[in-house]
Amino acid sequence: MADTGAPETIVRSGAQWLVAALEAEGVDTLFGYPGGAIMPVYDALVDSRLRHILVRHEQGAALAADGYARAGGRIGVCLATSGPGATNLLTGIANAYMDSVPMLAITGQVASPLMGTDAFQEVDIFGMSLPVVKHSFIVRRAEDVAATVREACAIARGGRPGPVLIDLPKDVQLARAAAAAARAPGGGPAAQDPRPDAAALAAAVTLLARSERPLLYVGGGVGIARAEPALRALVAATGIPVVCTLKGLGAIEPDAPEFLGMLGMHGSPAANHAVQSCDLLLVAGARFDDRATGKLDSFAPGARVIHIDTDAAEIGKLRGADVALGGTLGIALEALAAQVRRPAGAIADWRAHCAALRTLYANRYDAPGQDIYAPALLHELSRAAGPGAIVACDVGQHQMWVAQHWRIAACDRHLTSGGLGAMGYGLPAALGAQLARPDAKVFCVSGDGSIMMNIQELATARRYGIPVKIVLLDNGCLGMVRQWQELFFEQRYSEIDLSDNPGFVALAEAFGIEAFGIGRREEVPAAIARLLAADGPILCHVRIDPRANVWPLVPPGKSNGEMMDAAA
Amino acid sequence: MRQRLHVTLRDAEGALQRLLGTAERRGFRVCAMHAEAGGDACEVALTLEGARDAALLVRQIQRLHEVRAVKWTPG
Repeated sequence: MADTGAPETIVRSGAQWLVAALEAEGVDTLFGYPGGAIMPVYDALVDSRLRHILVRHEQGAALAADGYARAGGRIGVCLATSGPGATNLLTGIANAYMDSVPMLAITGQVASPLMGTDAFQEVDIFGMSLPVVKHSFIVRRAEDVAATVREACAIARGGRPGPVLIDLPKDVQLARAAAAAARAPGGGPAAQDPRPDAAALAAAVTLLARSERPLLYVGGGVGIARAEPALRALVAATGIPVVCTLKGLGAIEPDAPEFLGMLGMHGSPAANHAVQSCDLLLVAGARFDDRATGKLDSFAPGARVIHIDTDAAEIGKLRGADVALGGTLGIALEALAAQVRRPAGAIADWRAHCAALRTLYANRYDAPGQDIYAPALLHELSRAAGPGAIVACDVGQHQMWVAQHWRIAACDRHLTSGGLGAMGYGLPAALGAQLARPDAKVFCVSGDGSIMMNIQELATARRYGIPVKIVLLDNGCLGMVRQWQELFFEQRYSEIDLSDNPGFVALAEAFGIEAFGIGRREEVPAAIARLLAADGPILCHVRIDPRANVWPLVPPGKSNGEMMDAAA
Repeated sequence: MRQRLHVTLRDAEGALQRLLGTAERRGFRVCAMHAEAGGDACEVALTLEGARDAALLVRQIQRLHEVRAVKWTPG
């Protein structure tokens, strides 16, 4: 028979097309939980080479997929049934949206004839998720499944990454179809020139050349774009001091002399003072988030702004830019490094000023007493773990201590719920990260409030032998809320007491996880050694003083120049 | 302040919801709307009211995957 050039006809069910399309996209791992409306897909998984990680709650699936994506630099995939399965994914989807994480969330849906009838386990997850997805699809025909997966993955990964939802009615999963139909071309942003505009680049070079006090303000976009080398080259070429957002930490080496620390609410005084006194802010992949800027109209009051971002909608959103550089972030940084002809000596006075700030406000670890001082523990643990270690944290005081005191060597080694601030993120994210990077030491730093929000995922760690090292800082209360009630609500403590926590060591052991507890400073070195030596999952329960606060702190509504510290 | 937007969408499921939701979440009230589907496209004329920067809203709308074109007329 003559070769017609037509592709071989393959007939598969919609569920089989889904699995085949995921494999074709290079997906090897997905996180999920089965249920009625997604059963055909689970049936198709039996014959697949995809590795399915059965979590114990769908939120854990989405957050584990998030950790897998961030640590592995690949798309994270999660899977759930309709109704409650789908709604349980939503927090994780929102988390990925806020932090620009490439994710594919697949939900089963009731059969098409039942949609819109308030059927059992029916929710309009497509409608519910609209504000927190980069894009979403309901697939109406089995022949569209594979093309939809391809398009969804391209959207999730492209430009500024984000989560994409595919809602798949059960009858579509079961229907058999021949080949994947071609999809009509989508709209979306016009293809962007990866190079920055030449005139804007020239204007940026001029501003940089004239500035006496330039400062780099680095956000998570640098890590997402894998532009750390370009950023470091620009710093090496210019000597410009650097401050990072929570998600920008790791873009520059923690020991680099130009690095002044994190800016913002719990930022370092060196970083915040430098921001307030700079005359030029070179913003790379950051979005002037309120936690970073404090009172916006007094943020960097004397600075002109060069804003580099892949997402044009971030430029000018909260602070106007004197020069906007779009396109691919790494290319823009490389172009600046190549064109700025100004030796570091030209800003020697400014560099000396910043270096003095860095020395003056260096972290101290000599807290009095014999209680465990969490910042010192985290600092020592990160030193012992080495620069290749990955840390995933939850949300609260411990999250800020990690940001302040963990030596973060690269953006993809610090997993934190930056935009959404989702308690419960840490443990599932650490599990996902460990599966993406099996050779890395992966730590989960959590608090007694946060860990209880996804404690069930200890069972996942146990089932798959995922060797995450959990450091649980237990102050018997919701520490960050307690701190704010102490400082800003006249010590009227309201619903922050968690002193009736379960025995965490016994609880972990009940899940089959090795666990031990410490409460005194002299126990820290042995605990660190035991954590590092463990081959399997392990939990270290650390009792800390409930009165410990995170310092410094920019009070709400205040300028970053008005930081409070412990002595205040 | 009133703004007029003319948006050309790919006529896909949820495209109109996504457009209107974006405008409302970003601080604009939809005062008037006319939408007409034809072929694979949907033409949408919107009159919006809001105090925020409409140029920024236009860029946020341009990010939506089904959006093919946006024309903005201030006032």
